[in-house]
This record gives sequence, structure tokens and C-alpha cells, in this order.
Amino acid sequence: MSLTHYLKIWLASVRYSVVRTMMFRMDFLMWALVELFWMGVNILLINVIYAHTDSIAGWSKYEMLLLVGTAMILQRLMMGFFWSNLFEMGRNIRTGQFDFFLAQPGNPLFMLSTRKIDLDSILNCFVAISVVIFSVVKLGLHPSWLDLAFYVLLLGCALLIHYAAVLVIVSTTFWLIGSQGIEGSYFTLFEFSRLPRQAFVGAREVIFVWMLPAVISSNVPASVLIHGFQLSYVLWLVAAAVFWLTIGVLVFRAGLRRYASASS
Amino acid sequence: MFASFQKYRAAFTVGLQSNLVYRWNFAVRGLFSLFHLVVVFTLWGAAFSGQSEIGGFDLRQTLTYFVIILPLTFMIGAFNEDYQISEEIRNGMINQFLLKPVNYYAYRFSVFVSARLVSGLLVLLPLAIAFPILKDTLVIPVDWPARLALGLPAMFLSALVQFTIAYCFGLLTFWFLEIQSFVILSMAVEVLLGGQMFPLDLLPAWLFQLSSYLPYYYMMYFPAAIFTGRLPLGEIASGLAIQAAWVVILLVIAQFLWMRGLRKHTAVGG
Repeated sequence: MSLTHYLKIWLASVRYSVVRTMMFRMDFLMWALVELFWMGVNILLINVIYAHTDSIAGWSKYEMLLLVGTAMILQRLMMGFFWSNLFEMGRNIRTGQFDFFLAQPGNPLFMLSTRKIDLDSILNCFVAISVVIFSVVKLGLHPSWLDLAFYVLLLGCALLIHYAAVLVIVSTTFWLIGSQGIEGSYFTLFEFSRLPRQAFVGAREVIFVWMLPAVISSNVPASVLIHGFQLSYVLWLVAAAVFWLTIGVLVFRAGLRRYASASS
Repeated sequence: MFASFQKYRAAFTVGLQSNLVYRWNFAVRGLFSLFHLVVVFTLWGAAFSGQSEIGGFDLRQTLTYFVIILPLTFMIGAFNEDYQISEEIRNGMINQFLLKPVNYYAYRFSVFVSARLVSGLLVLLPLAIAFPILKDTLVIPVDWPARLALGLPAMFLSALVQFTIAYCFGLLTFWFLEIQSFVILSMAVEVLLGGQMFPLDLLPAWLFQLSSYLPYYYMMYFPAAIFTGRLPLGEIASGLAIQAAWVVILLVIAQFLWMRGLRKHTAVGG
């Protein structure tokens, strides 16, 4: 199938999501508020800590805010475009409804990942972007167009990493049908993305900076915005994105081969 | 009197059994909490570098506060009681309680106590695993016997505050079909004003004062601050009084919602 065909399918999903959201306006507002509040909680934590100290691992208050804002953009994009879809994949595998996706004329991974988007998260993504812009202004940064382009590109790579991580986590359902609630480990893992890389020392650095991609997914884009382009950093994130996406797809495919539909 | 106690003991036993089924869920959740502790240790460890104290407490005292929060959550926290109640209202399971001489609040509370007994014991497992790493961090206040004596009743009242708030949210199902967004919104408030995000005493003085009049303060921060020495001994008695007042207020609200809700209830299914 051609690329334009997939684009058409995606646009149909978007249209469906918009119509759905307009049907449940109250729900949309409530969830937008929920996310907004959670972001507020995280920003408040930074304000409270910096009321008592000037630096966390060498990061000033607004540098830290920029980092947290970047982590928020990522998580909002993840929630907006992929979270519900992947979360439902786990549920569908358990119930056998997953058959429905295999029967569709298209790549199953594409079909299941793009079924719907959550507009409340997309809306809050703009709030997170404002947090980053606010921090950039407060820090007196003047990023060039090229820096901004790299920031967006790196956010894309980081989003792929988040997507791959959830795909791996949810794909375990193919083997462990009773693994309900395992999706929550995504939030536990990416709590680390709100911390500066320099705060990790010793064994923690090896595990959370080098082995798991949580910390670099937010730190690399944020650093590019604060300190400008650094080749080694950028290459690191791009390589991590390729690596984790490959792992994600491989695990998903292996799981798919095991899938035998539910007995009920 | 004894007969009515027997009823709820039966509810407790059934609750114990059904919660043992979810032992792995609790264990996994406990394990996730350890990862959360790593985040907390990393963040606050970095914040303390270059200074010996924040808000009058050193790094070890601050980390002890966060460590204590972990078992407290599993021993007194409301987990999914609101959803369970919501489910029972929605699918009509609640109708049976309207026909029997069983108080729904007392029944639910018995199940809650059994659930916390299971999760409270299970959380000791990940804590025991982490203990060799944690033991150099933990600081026990010198006046610990007094703090333990005052902290245990505070803990019990906290459990009542936690449960009753969850119960009220569950009862909202009488008016709204979907309570999930309410619950998650209130969870954010609880995490913040309950002191799970940071010890509340780090807030500006006036905000801290204000928070001590809200029920959230008594969900987690109050017992944790008593146990870890963040609250002066002299201020605990007045805190217990406010906490007890909140328990009464919340119980009145719960009863009001229950009576009003039943009037709206149309007993679908069952």
C-alpha cells in the first residue's frame, strides 16, 4: 500500500477522533483539566525546591523548567497520538478483539497505533510548549532556526523512543495474558525523564542514562536548546531511537507470531 | 451489637481472600514504588549538593520522610475503592445492600481494612529487599517513643480520611456515569497537598499554615511528619483535633451523598 493511502487512513482516524471529542465535550474539558493540573504539580515541585536551593546538578531553575517542559511535550505527544491505542492493544489481546486489527487491509502495527488521537493531550501539548518558551525567554536564550529545527527533530526521535518503550511493554501481553496494569511501568520509567542527566551517578548512571533511554530522551533535546548543537549528543539520541524502535518492532512481531486469538 | 460485628467480620474475611488474589498486582506496584524512590533520591540528592540542609532538615532526614511515605501508602492509602464503589452502583450490585440490614459504609470499610492488611504486608517485601541500601539513609528521631504513640492514632484517622474521601468520590456515580476524571484530578490534589510530592513544610509559611486546615494534609503528611520528626511534638495534639474534626465532617458528607444519591438511584440491573 502506498504512503498516501496510509495518510488517508490516518486522516480518517483524526476526523473520527475530532467528531468523537465533540460528542463528549464535557469529558474532553475534564481530561484537559486533569492533565493541566498534573503539569502544574510538577512545575510547583520545581518552584518549591528552587526556593531552597540555586542549582540541581548544575541546572538553574529555568534550565530545569525547560527540561521538565520538554519532558511534558514528549509525554503529551505520546498520550495524544499513541497511548490509548497501545493501551487498548493490551486489552484487545486479552479479549481476542485483536483479531479485528489483523483483518484490516494494512500493516497491523500502523492500524493499531493510529486508530485514534486524544485531543485533550494535543491541546495540553501547547501548554507544555509555552512552558519551554517561557523558560527560553527567562534564560535569555536566542536559539537559531537551525537549533530549533534540531530541537524538533530530536523531540521526534525521543517520541519514537517513548513509543517503542510502550510497544515493548504492551507486547509482553502476548506472552503474559494476565499482565494487566503493566502499562503503568511506562509512567514509572519516564518519571526519570524529568531529571537532569548530571544528577545520576554510579550504578544509577549506568542503568538510567546508558541502558534505559528515559533520561536522554528529554535531556538531549533540552541541552541542544540551552547549549546549542552537540554532535555526540545528537548522534546518541538518533542511534537510541533506531535501536529501540527496532527492538520494539521485533518484540511486537515475535508476539504476533504467538498470538492465537482468545478462546472466549 | 456482637451480631452486627460478626457481619462485618465476614465482609473482612471475604475481602481478605479476594485481595490475596491480587497479591502480584500489589507486589508489582510495590516494586514500581521503589523506582519512584530512586527518582526521589536522585532529585533530592542533587538538590542537597552544596548545602547541608533544606527547610531545617538534612538530606537523610528528608529522604527518610519519602521512605516512610511508601509503606504508609500501602497501609492506609485508598487505592481503587472509589472505582469499586462506582462499579457496584453502576451494575446494580448495590441493590442487595438496600434490602439487607448491612450498612454500606461499614461493609466497604471492612473490605478496605482487609485490602490494606494484604497490601501493607506485601509492601514489606520490596522494602526488605531495598533495606540494605536504605539503612544508612534512615534517621530515627530521638523522641521516637512519643512520636510512635501519637503517630499510630494519626495513622488510623488518616486511613479514615483517605477511605471516606474515596467513598464520597465513588458515590458521585449516582450523578455522573464516569468518575475517572474526577478521581484522577483529586489524586493530583492529594499528591500535592497530601505531601507526597514534597514535605509540605517546604512551602512558604502562609501556604503551609493554610494547607494544615485542609483534609489533604491529614491523608499522608500528618502521620509521616509525626513519625519522621518534621512536626514539633507540641503541635501534634491540635493537629489530631483538626484531623478528628475532618473525619466527622467527611462522614457527614458521605452520609448526605448516600441519602441524596439513593433518591436518584433507579436500581438498574441487579
